[in-house]
Amino acid sequence: MKKITCFRSYFLSAAFALGALAFTSCDDDNNTGPAGEYARNGVLISNEGAMTKSNASVSFYSHGSKSVENESFKKVNAPLVMGDVLQHMTQHGDQLYLVMNNSGKVVVTNAQTLKAEGEIAGLEAPRYFAALNDDKAYVTEWLGYDPATFVYSNGRVAVIDLKTNTVTKTITVGVQPEQIVIAGGKLYVANNGGNTVTVINTATDAIETTIAVNEGPNSLALDRNNMLWVSSRGIKAYDPVDWSVSEESSTPGSLAKINPTSNSVVATLTFSQNAPAPGKLTPNLNGDKLYYVFNNKVWVQDVNATSLASQPLIDRGTYVAYGFNGLGVEPTSGTIYAGKATDYASNGWVVRYNPQSGAAVDSFRVGIAPNGFLFR
Amino acid sequence: MAKFHYRLLSCLALSLGITSSAFAQQDTTLYHLRTVEIFGKPAEVFASGSRVSTLDSSFIRTYASGSIADALQARTPVFLKTNGPSGISTPSFRGTSATHTAVLWNGLNISQPALGLSDMSLLPLSSIGSIAVQHGAAGATYGSGAIGGAVLLNSPTQQEPGFGAEVLQEVGSFGRYFSSASARYSGQKVSVALGGYYLAAENNFFFRDYGRIGAPTRRQDQAQVAQHGFTQDVNWQLSPNTRLALHGWYTYANREVPPALGAANTNAKQIDRNLRLMTALNHSSNWGETTVRAAVFNDYLRYTDNSNNSLTDINTYQVQAEQTYTYARRWSLRGGLNLQHFEADVQGYGRQVTEDRASAFLLFRYDPSKRLDLSLNLRQAFVKGYNPTPAPTLGANWLLLEQNEHKLYLKGNVSGSYRVPTLNERFWQPGGNPDIKPEQGWSYETGLRHRYTWGRVQLESELSVYRMLVDNWIQWMPVTSSFWTPRNLQKVRSQGIELSSSASTSFGDWQLAATGAYTYTSSEQVKAYEGTQELNRQIAQVPLHKVQLGADLSFRTWTMLGNLTHTGLRYTDNSNAGSLPSYTLLNLAVHKKFTLGQYQFIASVRSDNVTNRAYTVLENVPMPPRSLTAGLRFVIP
Repeated sequence: MKKITCFRSYFLSAAFALGALAFTSCDDDNNTGPAGEYARNGVLISNEGAMTKSNASVSFYSHGSKSVENESFKKVNAPLVMGDVLQHMTQHGDQLYLVMNNSGKVVVTNAQTLKAEGEIAGLEAPRYFAALNDDKAYVTEWLGYDPATFVYSNGRVAVIDLKTNTVTKTITVGVQPEQIVIAGGKLYVANNGGNTVTVINTATDAIETTIAVNEGPNSLALDRNNMLWVSSRGIKAYDPVDWSVSEESSTPGSLAKINPTSNSVVATLTFSQNAPAPGKLTPNLNGDKLYYVFNNKVWVQDVNATSLASQPLIDRGTYVAYGFNGLGVEPTSGTIYAGKATDYASNGWVVRYNPQSGAAVDSFRVGIAPNGFLFR
Repeated sequence: MAKFHYRLLSCLALSLGITSSAFAQQDTTLYHLRTVEIFGKPAEVFASGSRVSTLDSSFIRTYASGSIADALQARTPVFLKTNGPSGISTPSFRGTSATHTAVLWNGLNISQPALGLSDMSLLPLSSIGSIAVQHGAAGATYGSGAIGGAVLLNSPTQQEPGFGAEVLQEVGSFGRYFSSASARYSGQKVSVALGGYYLAAENNFFFRDYGRIGAPTRRQDQAQVAQHGFTQDVNWQLSPNTRLALHGWYTYANREVPPALGAANTNAKQIDRNLRLMTALNHSSNWGETTVRAAVFNDYLRYTDNSNNSLTDINTYQVQAEQTYTYARRWSLRGGLNLQHFEADVQGYGRQVTEDRASAFLLFRYDPSKRLDLSLNLRQAFVKGYNPTPAPTLGANWLLLEQNEHKLYLKGNVSGSYRVPTLNERFWQPGGNPDIKPEQGWSYETGLRHRYTWGRVQLESELSVYRMLVDNWIQWMPVTSSFWTPRNLQKVRSQGIELSSSASTSFGDWQLAATGAYTYTSSEQVKAYEGTQELNRQIAQVPLHKVQLGADLSFRTWTMLGNLTHTGLRYTDNSNAGSLPSYTLLNLAVHKKFTLGQYQFIASVRSDNVTNRAYTVLENVPMPPRSLTAGLRFVIP
């Protein structure tokens, strides 16, 4: 199955590689960019790892050598162990912030060398990180899981002092706060366990308002019009016998558009199927297109369109459950990167797709369960 | 459930009460099975051409405060996956996984039915009389799960007539205390043995926490262990030809599970409670020997951490009847039937699950000449909807050469094996797969055994080469993003070499016994039935090389024991991208016997990990550094 797609995509890949070369030749990042092994023209990949095993890792794909290096953090920092479950990796300034979900901390490294510089400890199940400026950042945390009822209590947003890498304040928000986005001096928090987006004033770190959206908001993205998009799961009802999501008893997911100046929902695009849930909203460089995963396929949303796309861009048919565990769009080329997790006992893959045709271009092996990309 | 326990426990106590009042006073000769006299150790009778090793009793006594996991790790080539200082320890025979080892107690399978495996650290050595280890498949003899091998545990047999007792107290590093006491009485008709033990260990050793920036030195604070248990064994010679045995075995363990370096402490804790009661009736007649065993087991397991609270409570009822006919030292035929009934209360199943399983077996041993013995065994298991194919074994052991004091045997065997899917694999909600097929194994092995006696020197060496194919190997995989499910994913080929040698000698007051073993294990997935699987790579957590050296040296009242084990590199994932370095561990023990009238005191000092090697068995789980244990044993012979 995989082989066939690979073959089919060789022609495309050849054509595409030429295109990529053209881009790289214009890119003089190697000459003027910051110094460091990982400052090169390439992609950093976060690999989640298997929970409780502390085998999360960072991979680096170099466009120059067209090769991938795995276990980059370990190579630089061993015997230091990065941690358990790399949920989110993001860069601010010269620092890379690695949110280690089941370690309860954020590991801070130099973004160019990956040399560990510190950690933000004392967090509980941290999920996503966003820096406001060189002084302040925010991290969402899930709190209060009850194994008897499978329900979480309200989560919180930790305010981080980036000079000291310590938590200075926590703000209680909705249940299971997930992705966060900073826009117009405000922090938007998707409360995945509820049906709201919390708006926090970044000057005062106080909650300004909450915006009601469809049940289960899980990802956020800003478009070129400075509109904030929210993907919502919808209410999912599980069949008590086989634990599949019931098409009859569930409600559909949706994409909603929020105007950050008025903090109001200006449009909601609702899916026709009840069971699948949309997620992983990822804008391209211009912010005129949003890519997202729905029903184990990748779809594109034109930010000015008033309806959802009728056809997926990437359709692998019957595909591995975590075939789109991570989604990234390379800013310069527009190439779509998908993190494909086979299982949590063997290494995953990054599969690259042509942004126009959605065809698989090529793939390379990374660590366990790749879930995010940082393009250099 | 609690009520049920009480009843079982009071039954146990009652049976003890009855027998203790029925103590007989006269001496009796040791009771032995005739087949044993003819064919050697019971585990070997129907195992011609396969590799069976026994752990010597002096080792079991020295390490009485340890578990079967410790003994297997130190004295056999079996690799044990030990999850930290307090944790679960499961064996990997010949490159297979923990579910591919059958564990039998007095002839009945005691693997936990939900998981289909036995945690060896829960089985204390102090409760066991003898341990035999079957290397390689023996599905016909030991039933489901005996794909990679089998561990055969037997209750202590009667010793010298009269009364005897023993008390042992040990104190060790990292807050470890072990106490045990046992008493036995053998009369003409009845013998009774009782034993109990108590273990508490803080495991609060210091380690470098590489999961934190700066790698601070930290004390392990999530590896406490409390274990206790007791055993009772009653043998009642009802008539010269009839014997009744009652065995009771209760173990309790409350263990903290340490988090991996870098992972948050989720306060993981596991409570295991296992009660095993068995009665066995033995009768010899002109028709041979009849044995009927009936047993009831209760396996309770509660695992809790910050986000889990899972309960497993299973009752197993088991009956096995077998008839063995032995003809004039030429052949022996055993036929039997095994019935199992499971009643499982497992939270993850969402309902009570019951199941019946049966299997019929026919074991044949034939010695056509003094130089050749053959085994031909067959077993068919019956599980509604999951019938495995029949598991046969054909084995031969041939005395190839006999010259002076040298004896060279050529042996070989072809063996089928199977594993019925576990209850979790079928009933777990969500994910349990009712359409799963049993695993099926074929094993081929051949080897040479050499025995040499020269005066007081005895040398025995064995070389085995094997190749094993396990088909429909079950593995859990994610099929949807919400849960995992077990599938018959793989065909695994394991092949390897096992080399072992043991020598013993004595001169004057000195006695020396030494063993050495090396194993090479290549275990790879050769076929995948679904998804993108890793082909032709060493399966994770299976070391290619393991070396084990052991020596026991005694001089008058002094005894010294030493063990050196080297475990080779293990891959941490099925892609063979990451690996853990090899490690070598040295354990030493010295004891000295003092005699006080008819009583004996044995003082002992033991050190594990003498070289203070920092090592991990599994990734990111630091193991204890050098430890020291002092013990005193008081024996009333």
